[in-house]
Amino acid sequence: MTIDATLPGAMPRPARRARPARWEAGIGHGLMILTALICVFPIYWMIVTSLRPENAIFSTRLWPDTASLENYAYALRAVPIRQMLVNTFIVSFTVTVIQLVTGILAGYAFARWRFRGSALFFGAIALTWLVPLQVVMIPNYLLVSRLGMIDTLGALILPHVASAFAIMLLAQSMRSFPSEVIEAARMDGASHAHILWQVIVPNLRGTLASLAILIFISTWNEYFWPLLLSRTPENSVVQIGLQMFITSEGTQWGPLMAASTMASLPILLIYLVLQRQVIASFMKSGLR
Amino acid sequence: MAYVSIRELRKSYDDTEALHGLNLGFEEGEFVVIVGPSGCGKSTLLRMIAGLESVTSGEIAIAGQVVNDFDPADRGCAMVFQNYALYPHMTVAANIGYPLKLAKLPRTERDARVRQVAEILGLTPYLDRRPKQLSGGQRQRVAMGRAIVREPRLFLFDEPLSNLDAKMRVQMRIELRRLHRQLSATSVLVTHDQIEAMTMADRLVVMNSGRIEQIGPPSEVYARPASTFVAGFLGSPAMNLFTARIGAEGGIQCDLAPDREFPGRLDLAPGSAFVLGVRPEDMSIAETDTSGLPAVLDLIEDLGGTRIAHCRVGEAFVTAVLPRESRLREGARLGLLPGPRQLHAFSLETGLRLTSTATAGTLAPTESVTVP
Ligand SMILES: Nc1ncnc2c1ncn2[C@@H]1O[C@H](COP(=O)(O)OP(=O)(O)O)[C@@H](O)[C@H]1O
Ligand SMILES: [Mg+2]
Repeated sequence: MTIDATLPGAMPRPARRARPARWEAGIGHGLMILTALICVFPIYWMIVTSLRPENAIFSTRLWPDTASLENYAYALRAVPIRQMLVNTFIVSFTVTVIQLVTGILAGYAFARWRFRGSALFFGAIALTWLVPLQVVMIPNYLLVSRLGMIDTLGALILPHVASAFAIMLLAQSMRSFPSEVIEAARMDGASHAHILWQVIVPNLRGTLASLAILIFISTWNEYFWPLLLSRTPENSVVQIGLQMFITSEGTQWGPLMAASTMASLPILLIYLVLQRQVIASFMKSGLR
Repeated sequence: MAYVSIRELRKSYDDTEALHGLNLGFEEGEFVVIVGPSGCGKSTLLRMIAGLESVTSGEIAIAGQVVNDFDPADRGCAMVFQNYALYPHMTVAANIGYPLKLAKLPRTERDARVRQVAEILGLTPYLDRRPKQLSGGQRQRVAMGRAIVREPRLFLFDEPLSNLDAKMRVQMRIELRRLHRQLSATSVLVTHDQIEAMTMADRLVVMNSGRIEQIGPPSEVYARPASTFVAGFLGSPAMNLFTARIGAEGGIQCDLAPDREFPGRLDLAPGSAFVLGVRPEDMSIAETDTSGLPAVLDLIEDLGGTRIAHCRVGEAFVTAVLPRESRLREGARLGLLPGPRQLHAFSLETGLRLTSTATAGTLAPTESVTVP
């Protein structure tokens, strides 16, 4: 998708549409390679640092002279990272599925039903998107603690069962779904459920896949809310595990980087796998 | 009793009324074409029959049952949309079979019906393709397949051919008629294309700004248009309309050439004004401008079989069919004589047809007049 930036179609002036000069494309590519390097470097540095022995941890050489997995072994011993990764995965996966479902249902209602006060409801939902986590943190904490859910994975999921972003995005894409197709389905005898799940949703695969990636990653990276709720490492998520290497006696950089690498690997993998799926489904679903 | 009967049907969007109290009926098995300029309310009417739009007031009955509050699926009608409205993610077979799947028909029966319909429409080789991989004509056929697979008693078509190229449109026009003969279900087709309307309809409904102008067989609507609107809308090139009055000798005087009087008999008092309508093929051409309306031949449009003469009479343009043997060139002076065949007269105030019988000009062709 980033390649688009250098395609002639992205140029504003029609005169340039026909044939972008060679050097223009060259500059475009050069800029993008530079940007990509800047983005990738911290990840590279994290991995390199995680492989350095303790005495070379602050070395500024671009390439590690000696690689060791000592930091990984230590990190796995010090903190139940495997359990935490599993927990994080469960939480992220569940939140993703639930948010997609609630988003699809609410989005359909907003897109297809005219009811009294629907604009008001939609506005209210849009507003919750603007309210920062810090504002709702305390009420939510009180709620889950009354429910006796402190130190459980359920408490990590509960505040995320619906998201304004998912609802608004899906309502918008459902509004732009061709209404004739929906009317044809009504003539064919389809109920609202049929129309939603058999006609609209299969055609929104691209949107849903990208949305799923966004939700999954943001849940995976969440830190404050789990920090507030977690009591025991075994019931916690991997972001909390990372924080355990930052202590009052100082930061254990090697193990921290090793743990960070382990925490981000699944995300990278999922992104790589789904990214291909997203692009494919964008091309496949194309209405018309 | 008509198969579909519509009484005092009105439709309002917010505070504007799109349909102003329509009354009409469709007989069982007939092919009705609703024609009118775009924005006149054809789609609204069709969608109200289908149940996709609510009824503001009035009544729609199908097979003797008032269906105002029925769901679209319960009205026993199928609709074909202008943009085909196929399900993009389903194969052709799944598209056609979807109504049956919703009706919970067993899979084997479903497949059999889909194959049968595909056979009728020549879609068998494409059953596994997706809509995107089909041409416009093929998509149109899939949309038709999805409609006929349910074996509805009433077909509704909203401009089904207007997205096709000219050649395909002519072909599909014939296929639609053939299909109608085969299925003999009542069909209602909406179009803004008057040729489509004239060629396909058993009965024509001409609409204009939310009202019905005329209902009747195409030949009759063409021969005796009920208003200046219908007269101008049907026929290509359009009927010539002149303001005219009855002359002192009982003949016709056109305001374009007030000093000349043409033979013709109308049951109107001398001096009374009206709108005279003459189809281009009913206009006689004299090779000099001493008789008839004095005109200059501005442009000849050669349609292959016929040639249309676009003439200028003063500021006005008049069209006439040029006789095959005519040697007139562009720029020539000529005389245009209304008649001798059919003339039409309409009220100057209401635009409605003045006499119920054709006001045929009783003109005897004179020496200088060539009869087309
Ligand atoms: N959903 C709508 N909201 C408001 N006005 C509408 C709507 N649909 C149609 N109209 C109006 O009703 C009139 C008839 O429209 P339509 O039935 O689509 O015309 P046609 O199909 O003959 O071109 C038009 O003036 C149009 O602007
Ligand atoms: Mg229309």
